[in-house]
Amino acid sequence: MKFLPLIWSGIWRKPVRTILIVLQVAVAFTLFGVLQGMKTGVEEAIARTRADLLMVFPNVFGEPPLPLAYLSRLRTVPGVKSVTFADGLLGTYQKPDQPVYVLAIDPDDIWLTLIPGIFQVLPQDLQALRNTRAGALITPDMARKYGWKVGDRIPLTSPILQRDGSGNWAFDVVGTFTAHEPGSGYIVANYKYLDESRVAAKGTVRNFYVVAADPHRAAVAAETIDRTFANSPSETNTASLRENAQQGLKAIGDLNFVVRSIVSAVFVALLFATATMMMQSIRERTPELAVLKILGFTQRGLFLLIVAEVAVMSVAGALIGLALALLAFPYVGSWIPGLSMPPQVIGVGVAVACLVALVCAALPARRAARLSVVDALANR
Amino acid sequence: MKQYWALLCMNLAGLPQRFGLVLTIVIGVGCAVGVLVSMLAMGAGARREAMGNVRPDRAVILSTGALGPGQSSIPKNVATLIGGEPGIRRNAAGKPVAPAQLFVFVQARDRVSGARIGFPVIGVTAGLSDYSPELHLTAGRLFQPGLRELIASNSCAHNYADFTRGDRHAMRGGDWQVVGNFDMGNSAGTCVVFADADVVQGTFSRTDYNQVNVMLESAASFEVLSRALKANPGMHVEARHEADLVEEDMKGFTGILKFVSYFVGSIMAAAATLAAANSLYAMIDGRRRELATLRALGFGARAVTASVLTESILLALPGALLGAALAWVLFNGFTASPFGFTFHLAVTGPIVAIGVSWALAMGLLGGVLPAVRAARIPVTVALRAV
Repeated sequence: MKFLPLIWSGIWRKPVRTILIVLQVAVAFTLFGVLQGMKTGVEEAIARTRADLLMVFPNVFGEPPLPLAYLSRLRTVPGVKSVTFADGLLGTYQKPDQPVYVLAIDPDDIWLTLIPGIFQVLPQDLQALRNTRAGALITPDMARKYGWKVGDRIPLTSPILQRDGSGNWAFDVVGTFTAHEPGSGYIVANYKYLDESRVAAKGTVRNFYVVAADPHRAAVAAETIDRTFANSPSETNTASLRENAQQGLKAIGDLNFVVRSIVSAVFVALLFATATMMMQSIRERTPELAVLKILGFTQRGLFLLIVAEVAVMSVAGALIGLALALLAFPYVGSWIPGLSMPPQVIGVGVAVACLVALVCAALPARRAARLSVVDALANR
Repeated sequence: MKQYWALLCMNLAGLPQRFGLVLTIVIGVGCAVGVLVSMLAMGAGARREAMGNVRPDRAVILSTGALGPGQSSIPKNVATLIGGEPGIRRNAAGKPVAPAQLFVFVQARDRVSGARIGFPVIGVTAGLSDYSPELHLTAGRLFQPGLRELIASNSCAHNYADFTRGDRHAMRGGDWQVVGNFDMGNSAGTCVVFADADVVQGTFSRTDYNQVNVMLESAASFEVLSRALKANPGMHVEARHEADLVEEDMKGFTGILKFVSYFVGSIMAAAATLAAANSLYAMIDGRRRELATLRALGFGARAVTASVLTESILLALPGALLGAALAWVLFNGFTASPFGFTFHLAVTGPIVAIGVSWALAMGLLGGVLPAVRAARIPVTVALRAV
């Protein structure tokens, strides 16, 4: 503890040099924080998605929707625990540039826990939807954007025609739900209301949600489902939510390599620069260090003194850099939805900073520790 | 001026003594330039890949106002009418080269992991080989009209299961015979599958095409064709340059890549600039006495500043070359597929030029403060240290 002032004065011996080193460390760790945060964040986002939830879509993109009659057949597929479904209606509210997507579901209790990362609803709201045929649940975001509240009637215009031949639909707001996807402009309504009111595509759904009994055997269940409907007029394509996430972010696999390369380049430059500066500093301070040695500092003491100096600069720089990364992250990561900076990146960053300090300081500190007093004072 | 040269020579002659500090500047700048050049090479490679087969004498006809083939729908009779429009080249048999295409997205399986990957099956009417002379069959033959046959690019055959000639590929409840594999000129990286348009339409219950591709008589015929189509609003189609469509398609991707490149590049450049400034400060500090003596001898402050700045820039230069050379050695021709799109990195002249000019900027910025400091060393203080 009593050496703290000594370390402190060593650090501020050349203020400009110290500030430049700290800044360089900070800049390097900003980059580290952002890139590592992105990499870890994506991996976590994938790991968070459910492996046991299968999405059943038509096999060919743009094909007609699937018949609702598949519901009962899906329930009998071995390995399937529960099944539900959703359909959708795209409409606009008041103006053509205000799209509202209506997710039409069967308000079954399964929705309480189906996709917690995307869609959360409270039991009383689900009950309210069950009680009102033309009811709808809205998100707080939508409520704020359009000034809707419970009890309002929302008129929508859609290319999907109603029985009366018009594209005018109306929904009564009966409650709210939370959508965790950014920019999700959708509301939730009863499938029954949609299907009974529309003229075309009756009895069809956009997709089924199948919960597999055993997450480890979800892939087998998916295969079985696709085989069941192979060669029928509506072939299916089944994949788990996690598989879909991996598909969508498969690119990140290659990005990992890019991130690793960049981070190593940054650290090579940083290590080299810091080590050289410390070397230079030791050379300039040779007489002072010799005096310390005369005063009774052991080799180990001097070694630790130098390492401590570098560690303080390195960790301070790293903390500044990681704080900057934290600030910049929402802006940089905005093109990957739902990405947040994982807290362990900070921990890893500080650990790396200590490692950097140790590697950079090892050589200069050894030199300081091994210094021969006579030579040093004679300025040889 | 004479003073400046003398000082510069002296600075440079002293460099070997300060080898560690010099190396710091070179390595710092080298890493920054290397990363910037490699990242930009990704964008350049992707562009080269996408634009590789673009020809000025080809045009794509889409529904009026469609942003891409996905939003475009051209009925069969309109596709036939387009063949009769002016400006379209005719093949040896005297038929207009105007193959219509429709896209169907189906799933393939990764050869190794078995994961599912979407890929487009392109149903195409007669005239594919006239329209795409760069399509080069490496095995087998073209598909025959009316049969469930397909040809797949070699990229499909390498990456996905059941796409090699002789394989049977199951699609839509039936087996399709893979009768050929091909390379597509300069862009070999993407998986493309061609089959007969009528068969694809029948199998996937489609009636319309997405687009009609036409080979023009010459690049100048585009205007003729475009005007003729505009004069016939009933067809509800418009001609687009091939290059424009590819460019639009790439815009999002290259935009992200460019942003990431310059974002990462500028952060690394900032770090390199700081390191350079620090090293130069240390160099100047080590030469306080020498510089003060020179000032006492009558060397001007401006000459000192200029010589230190020049030294800094000259030190950044080998760093830039080192970085660019490393990027070229490590990554030129390297295959990358970020965002599910495969291409080879291309380290090109303009990119290296960007890297070098950034390095010069790093040298200049990093040198300013130390240079000013060098010129300001008070003569008396420094001489007192003797």
